[in-house]
Amino acid sequence: MTLSRILYGCLTLIACLGLLTGCWDRKEMDDLALVMASGLDLADDNQIEATLQIALPTGIPSSLQSGGKATKPVLVISAKGKDGLDALGKLQQQLSRRINLGHRGIVVVGEKYARHGFDQILDTLMRSPESRYNSYMLTAYGTTAKKILNASYQMEIIPAIGINKLQYEDFSLSVKMDKFVDALASFGKSPVSGAIRIIKQSSGEQTFIIDKAAVYQRNKLVGFLSGTDLKAYRLMTGNIDGMRLTTQMEPPQNQYHGTITIHLMKAKPKIRTRIKNGKPEVSVSFKAAGRIISNDTSLDMSKVIPLVEKKFSEDIKKEIASTISHTQKKFKSDIFSFGNQIHIEHPYAWKTIKDHWIELYPKVPVQVKTEFRIERVGRTQAPAHQQKK
Amino acid sequence: MNKLFQLFVRKYQEIPQQGEPASDKPEQAELLSCCLQENIDRIKSLTGNSSDFIVRMFQGANGLSMAIVYINDLTDTAVINDSIIKPILSGTEADTAEQGSLTDSFKVTNDMLLTVGATNTVNKINDFVSALYNGNTVILAEGWDHAISASTSKWQMRGVEEPSSQSVVRGPKDGFTENISTNVALLRRRIKSPNLWKIDRKIGLVTQTDVSVLYLKGTADDSVVKEVLKRLDRIDTDSILDSGYIEEFIQDQTFTPFPTIINSERPDSVAAAILEGQIAVLVDGTPFVLVLPITFFKFFTASEDYYQRFDISTFLRILRFCAFTISMILPSLYIAITTFHQEMIPSTLLVSLAAQREGIPFPAFFEALLMEITFEVLREAGVRMPRAIGSAISIVGALVLGQAAVEAGLVSAAMVIVVAFTAISSFVVPMFNIAISARLLRFALMLLAASLGLFGIMSGLFFLLIHMAALRSFGIPYLAPIAPFVPNNMKDIFVRVPWWMMVTRPRLFAKQNYIRQKVNLRPEPSDTEEEK
Repeated sequence: MTLSRILYGCLTLIACLGLLTGCWDRKEMDDLALVMASGLDLADDNQIEATLQIALPTGIPSSLQSGGKATKPVLVISAKGKDGLDALGKLQQQLSRRINLGHRGIVVVGEKYARHGFDQILDTLMRSPESRYNSYMLTAYGTTAKKILNASYQMEIIPAIGINKLQYEDFSLSVKMDKFVDALASFGKSPVSGAIRIIKQSSGEQTFIIDKAAVYQRNKLVGFLSGTDLKAYRLMTGNIDGMRLTTQMEPPQNQYHGTITIHLMKAKPKIRTRIKNGKPEVSVSFKAAGRIISNDTSLDMSKVIPLVEKKFSEDIKKEIASTISHTQKKFKSDIFSFGNQIHIEHPYAWKTIKDHWIELYPKVPVQVKTEFRIERVGRTQAPAHQQKK
Repeated sequence: MNKLFQLFVRKYQEIPQQGEPASDKPEQAELLSCCLQENIDRIKSLTGNSSDFIVRMFQGANGLSMAIVYINDLTDTAVINDSIIKPILSGTEADTAEQGSLTDSFKVTNDMLLTVGATNTVNKINDFVSALYNGNTVILAEGWDHAISASTSKWQMRGVEEPSSQSVVRGPKDGFTENISTNVALLRRRIKSPNLWKIDRKIGLVTQTDVSVLYLKGTADDSVVKEVLKRLDRIDTDSILDSGYIEEFIQDQTFTPFPTIINSERPDSVAAAILEGQIAVLVDGTPFVLVLPITFFKFFTASEDYYQRFDISTFLRILRFCAFTISMILPSLYIAITTFHQEMIPSTLLVSLAAQREGIPFPAFFEALLMEITFEVLREAGVRMPRAIGSAISIVGALVLGQAAVEAGLVSAAMVIVVAFTAISSFVVPMFNIAISARLLRFALMLLAASLGLFGIMSGLFFLLIHMAALRSFGIPYLAPIAPFVPNNMKDIFVRVPWWMMVTRPRLFAKQNYIRQKVNLRPEPSDTEEEK
């Protein structure tokens, strides 16, 4: 009987827990303003302008509401404030639903604000508990975050989800907020982020493109990497998913362009450092493997593989070396984290150089060694359009 | 609150003292008298002169005035005519010449005249009446102080049919019936061993229901058998109409959502349980046989698991555990995640879920409660309603309540999916009584989820786990092969190993004689062919 008495007591207590709570923590889904992306800009009066892209569930066409007139799927609102939270507070006053940052996948920083430096806002992003660390960090190239978030996107219903997927699939460069702040906080590494811009198609439609990387020194934007520089950076970080390289094997002839394209399959960058006379030196060795996917030369692939391997190896070496010298001369920003590598390999030497690493970095000599291997030549040896002899 | 509870308990305890539930106990420890008419009068007054009591008086071939008494609907009149009345009336002259005294006439009637299978001598009114209720015909004569009860019972009953509550695709299709002797026969046909022992009890002062305990002597734990008999003997009630009565009287723990005794309609699964050292309790008048002791995991084994291939059986077992979990926690999980932990849902899904909830006036908890109660009402209606209205209910249930509720904006489409899937899952579990406990716990967990989110669900599940770990079924821990861990028994819990690997019986039940078969029974290609 005592056991059942305890059971009754517990049940009553549980019932009380459920029924007597006045204002509980419950938030229904339709009481939330689901922020999908947020943007930060520097306004003219040196205030911060925050922009939120909020999903509007009413605008999402579901099977039940088909045939109704299409409403906009997102709401984009902006407000200025002394800091990020001040602006958020002002935004909340416009919204009938509570701002929920749990699903924000994208943080865009306008170029002007990025060049000005944004330490303070990063602290807010990291400190506030409802903010997610695994949002992607993006820098707007040549425009403001507000314009990016106001642009429409055809492929996805919610533009922010489109940007999120562009980043998630890793077609170019994607950096999450925690990684960005981690690079920012370390002495031996400079942060980079993807750079997003809007392009107009010939049809007049707008789309996003993320084809550059924004390079930071400390918390200030110093420039953008694009084209082969971006490619070389991705090679050096081992992020080669779906990357293709083309090289000019032969001078173009009337029938052939003389190019060979390979699909990269493996990339293994290795950074080694040395301290010589108290000064650091860096040597980069890069091993890669790929398969030939297109051959527009007169060569028979079964015979010239060593030649092709050598050519690609040289190409890659040139690209990497030039990108490293760019970051040294132009940006003075150690985006390859050579400093961290010195920290790991020569911790005592690092202690003496870490404080002036930024000044030291442009003068560090860097050696690049590359090795390239062709693993497969595809299904045909000679070019398919060459006549058989 | 506590005082209120005590008041309830005190009242409850007072009831047996007020009046004997067995107040209609007839005052007949008395013996039959020698006078035929007196005996007949006493029976008639005892039964209130009920019209189905037939008393047939006649003059025996030897001139003795005799009577037979039987109950019309419980007896086979053809047998009475051919095997009792006819031989007595046409008793030969030789018999009459020889019989001199009354004891002789009794002996002659019993030994030489009656052509009925089984006869008994009764000399108490008490036995007389119970013989009548069992369908026997009682023969009295002037001057006898005892009577002959001849077995002539026959009544209409359902034949052996396919069990309606536990059906299988492959496996025996016979099911228990309402007749206890048929049921015992079904088990004896399967276990042809002298070790299958049967102990009978009559329970219920008014109903006098036959209850049999069957077990495999030497395999079943004798102390458990003793305990079962002790608990059966404790029952002092007026009636037993179904094994459910017995179950509630003898189970270990009343205040628990989990059943601690299995009931089965399938002779094959009961036979398998007996062979593993469990004990079956058969009750006359119901096709549901109790099996005990059991563990929690026994509820998830269907008899078909042992007839199908071991791989599919293993898959289905794991599926049943998943379905049971789903039927218990899915609605509460949905409530907790959508109202407390929106971060856990992928963005696109959350947006589309939120789009469905747009314009729904109720909180998710109330929405879920509404749909769950609707479903429970539909289910109960489906069980109780007359067959002819079945299609009407399904139309109303599926179309009106499901689709229209969504279109009217009372509940969201996702909630209908959640409730429907929960409902389907609860039918996967082969034992109906454990599905019921999931059904009740679901509501408690929903309340916890609505007030405390996932934390509430977790604390609820912890409470349940602690409770289950403390449960016992006739001394066997409820979560037995897992907690306490018995590695030997794991071969038949989440996986069902091939039959040749089941060398031992579950050690939990079969404490004494646990070797089931030889060790090297793995089928292999025979050696002779290789030699060729």
